[in-house]
This record gives sequence, C-alpha cells and structure tokens, in this order.
Amino acid sequence: MISQDQALTLLKSGLAVSTADQTELVLIGEDLSLTRVAESQIHQNMYRSDTNVYVRAIKDKRIGIASTGDLSAEAVKRAVKDACDISLLMPIDEQFVSLPSSQPVEKTNTYFKDTAENSPQQRADAVKKIIEKCSKADLQAAGAFRNSTETVAVLNSLGVEQFNVSTKAELSMTVTGNRDNAGWSIGYDRSVKNINVDALAANAIDKAQRSVDPVAFESGQYVVILEPAAVGQLLLFLAFMGFGGKTLFEKRSFMSGKIGEKICGDNMTITEDPFNPQMLGVPFDYEGVPRRRVPLIEKGIAKGGVYNSYYASLAGVESTGHALPTNNSFGPYPKHMIMDAGTTTLAEMVKSTAKGVYITHFWYVNYLNPMKTMVTGTTRDGTFLIENGIVTKPIKNMRISQSILEAFSNVDMISSERKLYPQYSVVMLVPALKVNNFTLETTEG
Amino acid sequence: MIENARQIVDLMRKLTAKSCEHAHLRVEQIESERLSTSSQKTNPVEKSVSTGYAVRVLKDGSWGFAASSKFDPAEYERVIKLAIAIADASRKVNSHKVEFVEPSVGERKYETPLKSDPFALPFKDKLDLLQHWENLIHANSQINSSSTFLDFRRHTKLFFSNSGSAIAQVLTHTGAGVTCGITKSRRERYERSFPTSSGQFVSGGFEAIATFGIEDKIEQLTAEAVALMTAGECPSKTTTIILSPDLASLQVHESIGHPLELDRVFGSERNFSGTSFATIDKSNKLKYASDIVTVYSDPTYASGLATYLYDDEGVAASRVPLIQNGMLVGYLSSFETAARIGLPSSAAARADGWGNIPLVRMTNLILEPGNQKFADMLAEVDDGIYIEGVSSWSIDDNRENFTLSGEVGWEIKNGKLAGMIKSPSYSGNTVQFWNSCDSVGSKDEWVLWGTPNCGKGEPGQNARTAQGTAYLRFRNVKVGA
Repeated sequence: MISQDQALTLLKSGLAVSTADQTELVLIGEDLSLTRVAESQIHQNMYRSDTNVYVRAIKDKRIGIASTGDLSAEAVKRAVKDACDISLLMPIDEQFVSLPSSQPVEKTNTYFKDTAENSPQQRADAVKKIIEKCSKADLQAAGAFRNSTETVAVLNSLGVEQFNVSTKAELSMTVTGNRDNAGWSIGYDRSVKNINVDALAANAIDKAQRSVDPVAFESGQYVVILEPAAVGQLLLFLAFMGFGGKTLFEKRSFMSGKIGEKICGDNMTITEDPFNPQMLGVPFDYEGVPRRRVPLIEKGIAKGGVYNSYYASLAGVESTGHALPTNNSFGPYPKHMIMDAGTTTLAEMVKSTAKGVYITHFWYVNYLNPMKTMVTGTTRDGTFLIENGIVTKPIKNMRISQSILEAFSNVDMISSERKLYPQYSVVMLVPALKVNNFTLETTEG
Repeated sequence: MIENARQIVDLMRKLTAKSCEHAHLRVEQIESERLSTSSQKTNPVEKSVSTGYAVRVLKDGSWGFAASSKFDPAEYERVIKLAIAIADASRKVNSHKVEFVEPSVGERKYETPLKSDPFALPFKDKLDLLQHWENLIHANSQINSSSTFLDFRRHTKLFFSNSGSAIAQVLTHTGAGVTCGITKSRRERYERSFPTSSGQFVSGGFEAIATFGIEDKIEQLTAEAVALMTAGECPSKTTTIILSPDLASLQVHESIGHPLELDRVFGSERNFSGTSFATIDKSNKLKYASDIVTVYSDPTYASGLATYLYDDEGVAASRVPLIQNGMLVGYLSSFETAARIGLPSSAAARADGWGNIPLVRMTNLILEPGNQKFADMLAEVDDGIYIEGVSSWSIDDNRENFTLSGEVGWEIKNGKLAGMIKSPSYSGNTVQFWNSCDSVGSKDEWVLWGTPNCGKGEPGQNARTAQGTAYLRFRNVKVGA
C-alpha cells in the first residue's frame, strides 16, 4: 500500500499544475483478499491491488472530473489537466458554491495489522475448520472470507489534507444439507481477530440441522422475528430510499416534506454514527470533511438526512461529512447506521409469540414503491414457524411485500444485543426486532 | 500495454510452466465516459480509465488468482508468485482436483465494428444532444423531473495462456436513455423511461443512438407519465398478460439466463447469488417452456452488449442451444464447469475487468422470434393486461419464484387496449410461467436488449449481457398484489 507521505506528495504534484479556480484530488486504494468456498471446496481464491486518483477541477463554476489508475506523477498531472480541460467544456453549474475548506478531524483507529496481514493460508485454515465441522454434521459448506485494506487521501486547493488507512474482515457462510435445509451466518469487524469462526459455524450448522424438510406456510400477515441481518437489509433499503441529501433535495425521499413529523413507531431511533466504538468509521468523507453523527429518525420522528458539500449548500445546511467518491451520481449517503437497542432477547421474543415466523435474512430485496417504502424479496437460509412460544418447524422461503416504515411502526420488541451487519460498503449496527402485521406470501417455487 | 503484457507473460511462463497445469494472463484497459443530465441540469462528465492485469493459475488441481494495477517488474513477480501461493493454500483444503483440457486458439484479434467512435466526438455535441432531449421532455409542462444519459465504454483485452493462445479484443459499447417523472403527492410519484429503465446498450459506435428512436418517443412518454397520475390500480386476478420486449428481456435474463449458469447449478454461488432449480439431471428431460420457446447463447451475434469472439478463458465463442422447442438442452459454462458434464465450454466465462476472476455469465441470449405481430397477439385476448417497461424485479435464490413489475400497463378488453394501469405487477413459478407462453412476437418487433448491470459473485462483479426478445404472451398468470 502507498504510504501517507507518498500519497500526499503525489497529490500535491498534481495540484501544483492545476489551472482551475478550485481543485480536489482524492486517492482511493484497496488491497482485497478473498477466499470463496462452495461444495466444501475452495473454488475461488483471489488477491487484487488497485489504486485510483480522482480529480475534480472547477473553473468559473464549471466542473470537470477525470481519474487515473496510473500512480506516476506524470499520469496524475495528466488527469489534473484533463479535469481542467473538461471543466472548460461544461456548462456553468450555478448551484455550485465551493469545495470544502480544511477542518480538524478527530482521529480514529481504523487499521488493524492482523487484518491487513491475514494470509491466504490463514484464510484457508479457517475455511478448513468450517468444512470439517460441516462434514461431521453431514452438511456442505459455502462461504466467503475476505480481508481488505483501504487507503484514502484527500487534498484540495483550499487546504484540506487528509489521509487514512482502514481494514475490514468479513466471513459469511451458508451451510446446506440435501433435504432443502440451510443455515447462514455472517461476521464483520475491523480486526480479523474478532471474527469468531467457531461461533459463526456453529450458528449456521445449527440452523441447517433445524431446517430439514421445510413445509409450505400460508400467506398472511404475521408476527415476525427478524434477526439483525434481516433488519439491516430493510434498513439499507430505507436509506437508499431517502436518507441521502440528494434524494431529499430532489423530493424523491420518503422523508421529503415530513421532517419533524412522525413516520414510524416511538421505539425506532436510527442514527448515522461513525464514532460508535464498534463501528470505527473513517473519520472523514471523500471530500476530506469530518464525518458527523447525524440523527435520521428519533423516537419515530423524521429528523433529517446526510449531506456532502454540494447538497449541503443547496439545502442551506453544513456538510455532515457524507460525500461518496466524486465519480458517482448517487449523492451523499450514510455508511454507519445504528438502530437503538431495546431491552429484550431473541429467546424472549420467541417465547412471547403465540404464532409467528422467525426470519434469518432476506434475498433480492427490491423496491416496489420508494415513496411508500414498499419492498419485496424472499426469506432465506433458515425460516421457522413459531407456535405458542416455541420454534416448532422449518418453513419454506416466503415472499415479503411490505412497507418498511409500516414495519418499523409495528415493532413490538427490540433486542438489547446488536450485531454489525455489512452490505454494499455500508456497515450497520442493528438489533433483532419483533414486528407485528408483517406481510408474507407463499412462494410458488 | 502490449509491451507490459509481453514482459508479464514471459515471466508467467517462466514461473508457472513446470509447476502449474494452466496459467492465464489478462491485461486489460477499460475506458469509459458517461454524460448525463438531471432535470435540465448537466451533471459532471464521468470519465475514467482503469488498466491492470491478472494472473490465474491452476496448480495441482486448485486455483490461484492475483491482480494489480501497478505496472512494474517487481510487482509482476510478486503477483505471479502470490497467485501460485494462493493456489497452494487452496490445495491444502480441497479434496477434489479441478481438471479440464485447454485447447489453444493461437493468435487471434477482434474489434467491434463501428462507424463513429464515440470517444472522438466533441463533448459539446454529446451534451447538446442530451439538452435537446431534455427540452423535448420539458415541452410537456407537467413533467417535473427528468434525466438523460449517454454512456460509452471501450474495453481492450489481451489474453495469453501457457497453452499458446494470444488473443486481442477491443470491444466498444454505446448506451443511451431518458426518463421523465411526475410527482403527484408526497407519497405518489410516476416515471416513464425509454428505451427501457436502464437505457439501451449495444456493441457499436455513436451511430447506434439514432437507431434507438429516443427523440421520436419522448412526446408519447411524457403523456404517459402524466396519464399515470389518474390511471387505475392493477387488479388482483389470474389472467392473460402480454409483456413488452424490454420487460420480456428482463424475464429471460432472470428466469432463463441465471438458472442456466452452470456454476450456479453446481452451487458456486450458494453463499451469495443462490443456486438453480435447473439441475443437470433435468437436462433433456425438463420441459422448461412451451414448444414455441427456443433460446440459445450466441456471443458472436452482431451488435449485442455481450458480443465477443473469445471469452476470458480464451475459448472461441459459438452458438449454444439452451432451450430447444421448450426442452432444456444446454447450459452457460466455463472450462471447469463444462468438464464436469463432459461438454466443451460454451465460452461464457467472463470477468468484470482485469481485477476479477471469470465467472459463468450470460452472453447474448437469443429467444428466437415467432410469427405474430403485437396487434395480432392482442386481438386474440378477450381479457388481460399488457405491461410495458421495467420497474422492479425480485426472484428467489433458486430462481423459481419471481415478482416483476412494469412502469405502465393497460387492460386488454376484447382484443384492444383499454384503461391505463399504474404499477402493474405479475408473479409466478419459472417453469409453469414459461410453459404458459402461447405466443412469441415476430422478427420485425424483436430487439436485442443490452443489460449493463448484471450483478453476481463475491467480490461483486458487474457483467454486460444481452437478451433478444419480441413481445411475449402468457396465459393464466397472477397479476397484482
């Protein structure tokens, strides 16, 4: 990986040749290692090292963007020149105000050497352990064990100068038998030492053993108990549909025109919090702006969204430090969402349920109506019927057709324990939920 | 690029020739450019170049893969040795060995034919075209949001194998599309898109855009967006449906293409994208669809978004039958997966750029046209729904149970389109659904649709695929909630 001195020296060499009014250079590098398992064999095993520099040049409110994967000083200078040349061809963006200026950033330790140096052999050893446990239970293992190191450096002509290196480790596994039975589990942490391979394997194997010969279950509205991953998958889609400043500005958000209004249950509080000690977020965004803690929904009331400098100017607020890399059109986005914990346990949720469905996680969640937060998808890898406070039998996967906000208005119980759940470069810290009146449909598969 | 490739391939052959059964080098560059507008405002041009290389080895029956964007002799050696070390680590876990025969195709070259290089045209001309489309959209004063885009990509691919293949391909893709929207209230918003929700993408140059017919369609598109505000709800019933060619393309993609990826069939995607009900014991036994449905894979089909002559394992592409008169007869495959069923690869091993392992992906999937025009197909329906455009889709991890929805629908009454329907949706079981297909549209209404964003794999890979379809009619389908 490139060092802080090398990265900033490289970016400064590019900045020096800019002819624009304002210029920003962002370096993003990733070293990714991933071991993939299927049929209890390693079938894909890879390493990739990739670093790119993104340049944004602004001349008379005309914005030009260029990038390069060549880290020679000449290539970076060429990218700066390209961005400057492109800016001259663009129409004036009257809504652009300025790149951000320098602000102090609170340092966070996001780098763990054990993760950065987790070797192919160490991943293979962990995988072998999982396969052996599955084999003893007459089950097959599939999964993915990844560790990555990401470097981000940001420099702009207004004095912003940031550098950070972070690590991530993630292990997910699906354990299957030959009687339509499956179990799934996932673990995520900045430090690979905190990935508990034995516990994750035990959880997935237990689910697979309990889900033999699932039966079809009729469509209807049910009490459901959602494990943290299932909650995270719904929360992620809620964020897609409206926590970003761009969706709010364009009035495409389910929160548009509703800030300060009640939109879900009193017991729902969702916060973007990169500083949570379990989260360990990178302390600045891809514009070098310090990330802030942002209340999104507080006791059921819509509080607001997250912003980068562009949409903050349009909305008349300050950037919350949630810019994505400049080469995307998605706008600002929350990457460290936390749902407030409750006081109960998963076991107590099950015990309190006369008739309901226990859901491990979902598959292929997709929008039906973003303004109404309606989504569809199916349950997967461990869906069970609960009767009179006991998990009685496995059931076949069911299709959901549900408004997320309606579900979050019907939350009856929240677990005290929360888990980190990663998806699409977002990490969430989420509890399990017991939700009333959740719509499930029999699948025709 | 070629000079760097020669250095790496020489070193790869030196370091792997004796110890590895197979070794492949891919050196690739992807140059892309996306110009777009949002509600008449021009967005910054997204222009990027990504160049890198990957070494993939099979050693003692296990795979290793390493890739880097750093072109430096010391890095070449590190990457090759790391690929071998990764294969060694895999080997210590695996009880089975991967085996296949790899033929050499020798030296080969292919370049997408094009008349007008989209990268050579001035930005201003391209931005002017987008603003022209924006102006046409906003000629309808009720429209309050819009977007337009042009998307170009040039993928230069060099492939070398220890078995002697040396392949150079330059693939150029062009895409474009428009969307107009109208917000009725805080909870109601409607959109219409053209050519489809993600636009149309083909292999070819700027000349392709004129063939999409965007300008001629915009007036109708905006009128439909406005009409959606007062359109009726989609009824809940079992009825006859006709799918527009773009929605039919998505149906083929989700419920024929993905289930017939042989790696998925064998369980390679069990932890992520899922498996397939279309297991190999069903080959030549499963009546997947009605007699009038024939589907084949053909990367050599002209102008498709997945048009190429060699896949990312260096296999020469050809036409491969998948469904013949409704019968399941074949799969999309790679060297490794095809060898498991004793067949040659279908040349469907494709990687998302230099930094990813080739996976079995869709190519150009051709659903052979039938003989009915839309009007004739419609005339035979007493009661049903016609659904157009793509709004949402979801299918289970075994590819059996699906729900899809379109942007707009119309009731069909006595052989004619009647009232407009908003958010039309339908659902079904893959095999039952395809066996209920009783009409396939004719060649003159058939389109090879490009899908630029097919996701699969860990780490996530994005593939560019194509599905050729005309209008399709199905009987006894569940529509609505």
